[in-house]
Amino acid sequence: MITITRAPPYITVQNGGRQHSRSLGVPRGGAMDLFALRAVNAVVGNSLDAAALEWALGGGAVRFDRDCFFAVGGATARATVSGKDVAPCTTTFARAGDELLVEQIISGRFLYLACDGGIDVPALLGSRSTYLPGHFGGYEGRMLRSGDSVQLGARPSTHPAEGFHAAADLMPRYDSGIVHVTPGTQDDLFDESAMRSLTESEYRISAASDRTGYKLDGPVLANSLGTLASEAGCPGAIQVPGDGLPIALMADAPTIGGYPKIAVVSEADLPILAQRRPGESIRFQLITIDQSHRALKRRLADVHAISRHASRS
Amino acid sequence: MSHTQLRAHPLGDTAVTITFGAVRSAELLFRVHSAARALKAANIPHVEDIVPAYLALTVFYDPLGTSYEEVSRKLLDACDRVAHSTPKPAPSREHRIPVKYDGIDLEAVAASAGLSVEDVVASHSSRIYTVDLLGFVPGFAYLSELDAALQLPRRAQPRPRIAAGSVGIAAAQTAVYPLDTPGGWHIIGRTQTVMFDPTRDAPALLAPGDTVRFERIP
Repeated sequence: MITITRAPPYITVQNGGRQHSRSLGVPRGGAMDLFALRAVNAVVGNSLDAAALEWALGGGAVRFDRDCFFAVGGATARATVSGKDVAPCTTTFARAGDELLVEQIISGRFLYLACDGGIDVPALLGSRSTYLPGHFGGYEGRMLRSGDSVQLGARPSTHPAEGFHAAADLMPRYDSGIVHVTPGTQDDLFDESAMRSLTESEYRISAASDRTGYKLDGPVLANSLGTLASEAGCPGAIQVPGDGLPIALMADAPTIGGYPKIAVVSEADLPILAQRRPGESIRFQLITIDQSHRALKRRLADVHAISRHASRS
Repeated sequence: MSHTQLRAHPLGDTAVTITFGAVRSAELLFRVHSAARALKAANIPHVEDIVPAYLALTVFYDPLGTSYEEVSRKLLDACDRVAHSTPKPAPSREHRIPVKYDGIDLEAVAASAGLSVEDVVASHSSRIYTVDLLGFVPGFAYLSELDAALQLPRRAQPRPRIAAGSVGIAAAQTAVYPLDTPGGWHIIGRTQTVMFDPTRDAPALLAPGDTVRFERIP
């Protein structure tokens, strides 16, 4: 069990998300940065999509109520246990009663804490992820508050050695700000200049950005059609409403929508977009579906490599 | 195999959208739902989720197990076979949803339509609606078709929060908001009926093809 001794402003239980309920209107949800989720899970010997805690702003404190191998990763924030710094994506041991203090996130946006055994909340619709708009999943469908305790699953039979850390060259290039995209389902409704604007300009993450979507500030993308008959979207789909300012759909986005989609962010690069803060910029680069699949396979191979290295440590 | 009218397009690197036509109709929607059911029954390897919509269905797949070309060809072939068969409608259920007609936009809707509030309520509660599809948020069912006199475009400014249970109308459709969410529909009433409960065997109360009557309660 772990206990939230001082609740941060935004913390939820998230895992790999819901893959089979979109036809009921249930979004994929899950961790905003799936790579970071998997990396911290790999480092503590968990299955890659096990449930972890997701911070959006940092802050707060968590007490380990049993001996625990844990790791923090994703966004950067100073974290300490008993006054000692906790290195990112590193297998760290805490004794029962130890407290993890997390300071404000200073770069990136979503921070993860994985504990060996994973967060053991009931699975709903095939996932332990919290879906805040629907008040379900995770811990009672809500953010964790001070005093809440969540169960941990059974500890894995083996665990990585204390101090093991994921190699930096296996991590996504979060700092590059380059996000690859493939053409969207309605890319033909936009003229060439719109696709050029999207891929040759900088777009800034606006303040209107959350787990549902990131509104982007930059050159306006003209499109001729306004609203279409609703059809499925997905995390990473870049839709363009009437004002021409694109919105990148994120984990909790509606399952269907009526705005034309000019492009879709590669699954491999969704973590890079997710970790950009309001005011920070990104550049989109167009690639083919095959290239996008290769990038995703490389990304997953990297996380499996972390897992393999961890198990041999 | 020829795929007349059917067109596949990637939706990113994890999904394929198959478009069945360009103009919305009950017949086209029926074809989409029939194809979605057939694809589900076919258990095509690496297919993870199927999302029907008005003109298209979208299939989410595992890109580690298949390529876009392979999965889209299999899906087009399967959809094409459905197009050349005479699918039966799915079993459907009838629902009665009690509504207190006291919505914040009821008077404005009546004024826009040039009707009395009483007329609006009588019209909305006298028709039998069909569930077109589910989407947007969990359990949100698009119901058709509203009386022509009540058909208004959505509000220019969506509201940041519509309360769960609100009954709204927009264009040719009506719906119950299953949870608190931003929304641009005109709110004419509210219901206590729980539209979505993830702990139920069937979490969504309504399924495509079901029929709904709204019953006025005081």
